Amino acid sequence: MSAVAEKVAGKKVCAVNSEPPVEREQLPMEVMFEIERHLIREARLLDEERIRYWYENYLTEDIVYSMPINVSRYRREQTRPLPGTNPGAGAFMDNYELIGMRITRLETGLVWMEDPQNAIRRFLTNIDAEYLEDGSGDVIAYSNFTVYRNRRQRDQTITYGQKVDLLRKVDGKWRCYNRTIHMDQRVILDKNVYFFL
Amino acid sequence: MKDVSALIQENGAVQDRSIYWDDDIYLLEQERIFARAWLFLTHESQIPLPGDFIATRMGEDEVIVTRHTDGSLKAFLNSCSHRGNQICYSEMGNSKSFTCAYHGWSFGTDGKLINVPLENETYYNNIDKNRFDLRQVAQIDSYRGLIFATFDPTAPPLMDFLGDMAWYMDAFMDVPGGTELLGPPMKSILDCNWKVPVENFIGDGYHVGWAHAAALDAIQSPLTSMKGNAPGYEPKTSGIQVATEGGHGMGIIWDAAAALHVNPAYGEWINYRTEMVREKRGEWGAKLYNGHWDASIFPNCSFLYGTNTFKHWQPAGPRSIEVFTWTLVEKEMPEELKQYLSVMNMMTFGTAGMLETDDGENMEGCTGTNKGWVTRQGKVYSGMGQINEGPHDELPGIVSDGIVCETSYRGFYRAWADMMSGKSWEEMSRGGSRRSIKEVA
Repeated sequence: MSAVAEKVAGKKVCAVNSEPPVEREQLPMEVMFEIERHLIREARLLDEERIRYWYENYLTEDIVYSMPINVSRYRREQTRPLPGTNPGAGAFMDNYELIGMRITRLETGLVWMEDPQNAIRRFLTNIDAEYLEDGSGDVIAYSNFTVYRNRRQRDQTITYGQKVDLLRKVDGKWRCYNRTIHMDQRVILDKNVYFFL
Repeated sequence: MKDVSALIQENGAVQDRSIYWDDDIYLLEQERIFARAWLFLTHESQIPLPGDFIATRMGEDEVIVTRHTDGSLKAFLNSCSHRGNQICYSEMGNSKSFTCAYHGWSFGTDGKLINVPLENETYYNNIDKNRFDLRQVAQIDSYRGLIFATFDPTAPPLMDFLGDMAWYMDAFMDVPGGTELLGPPMKSILDCNWKVPVENFIGDGYHVGWAHAAALDAIQSPLTSMKGNAPGYEPKTSGIQVATEGGHGMGIIWDAAAALHVNPAYGEWINYRTEMVREKRGEWGAKLYNGHWDASIFPNCSFLYGTNTFKHWQPAGPRSIEVFTWTLVEKEMPEELKQYLSVMNMMTFGTAGMLETDDGENMEGCTGTNKGWVTRQGKVYSGMGQINEGPHDELPGIVSDGIVCETSYRGFYRAWADMMSGKSWEEMSRGGSRRSIKEVA
């Protein structure tokens, strides 16, 4: 064995995820069904541009809506703190008020790039949901998404990623109070991501 | 290729459209601008410790920027001197060395070749390792934390290159404790020529009211009065635009640093700081510190002071750029304020930003139409404000009255034409009248 190979073989490397998944209480079939249909209905309403309705009926007022940046670092450094002050950064770091402001902008009719209307289609898949381990009865829901956007004549993008939602039941209806959107891109390849998921 | 000397006309007010499209002009830019000018790399706050590094680009050249073990700054090509493979694929981190994934050659944090696997067994110790150090930049330096480098050993020192631009920027860069960039940078793509966002940031006060009408309406801030460029808005008294020597420049809206903010905390900070700035830099210093700036540092770095976005537009072919976005803050600001400014920067000028999305669309449009051969034979125009600009009694550069004009567009394109001519640094007029900083202070 060469010196280099020995060196590599002797070192504890962080190559793949060795952590077991969190053990959580499973949802009964009817709740699982509710969650799935809830997420799918939500995607349809957004596709239909019913954004104000979505804002008022699908989110809680304490929502944290984020799309963090995934820094592309060597595995050995993935958990190392970033240099300097690092409040984190992301395309979205929104609270309820900021989401509302983004929607107000769209409602002004002065967003030239949204006229003519652009097509946007959300596809949700791999929905998995469990009760949160804190005993609150809240649900953590994972889903993978594909977003297809078609703009102008031939401007077209397809983006993939994952949503992780925390949902709570308010007056008998599920609402999201925490949504983390993981885009599977370090460099956002679409010209913008000014849309909701 | 077209005659380079004819691409910019009328003292910078007319641009040939081919400069936003043609491959050969783009390649010449790589040689005559990006291989010669001082280029922004990162902020010292991003690589504070020995061994810290970031990977970025200078033009289209991949580079690694490090804090060497002796504390000095280094930058060198991120390409192995053996067979050329890219060495480092991590965008940032801390490392004692960089090892190529192909054959395992490894290099120090100063780019020196330190290890060749099987050196004895294969080269029989007959390899002069000094020959294979990674190519260094010719000069590297920092201005109040902002790190720049150039591949041109004949380039003037960084402070000469920045010239009067640094005098202006001192108003907010030279604060107690200094500044920092909050990372990690957002990275995104726009399919536009790299010069389009540079010109937008350097001096486009004209588009603000119209292109961003919806955002100004939604944010409900002091700038909302600009919405729709409606009558009643008086651009003439609103601020100034400046073209400084070397193609840098800015537009400043007076008393508007905190104008795009909904949270009063930032305005309070500005008020608190202003007295210190006034004491140190006088009335103009205080006025500059309180203004909202749109600015570009030649060739491809821009910022908005007040909105606190800091942009690096990296060329990726003639019709595409990669955009790096950081948040620029003062180090001594309270943590909650930094956090808030970071959120609002992304809210306004991130890739999902309420204003950035308006701009991105226009920048792509200004590039894409030039695909037409006939279109490309035409010109575009930045002639606004030529009759109300000139040397200023107290400020350096060419100064216009009013934020809405294209004075600094012209300064940028004069400098661009100068560099594209291939002249030596001594021969370049570099685009502006210059008063000495001493004369001003």
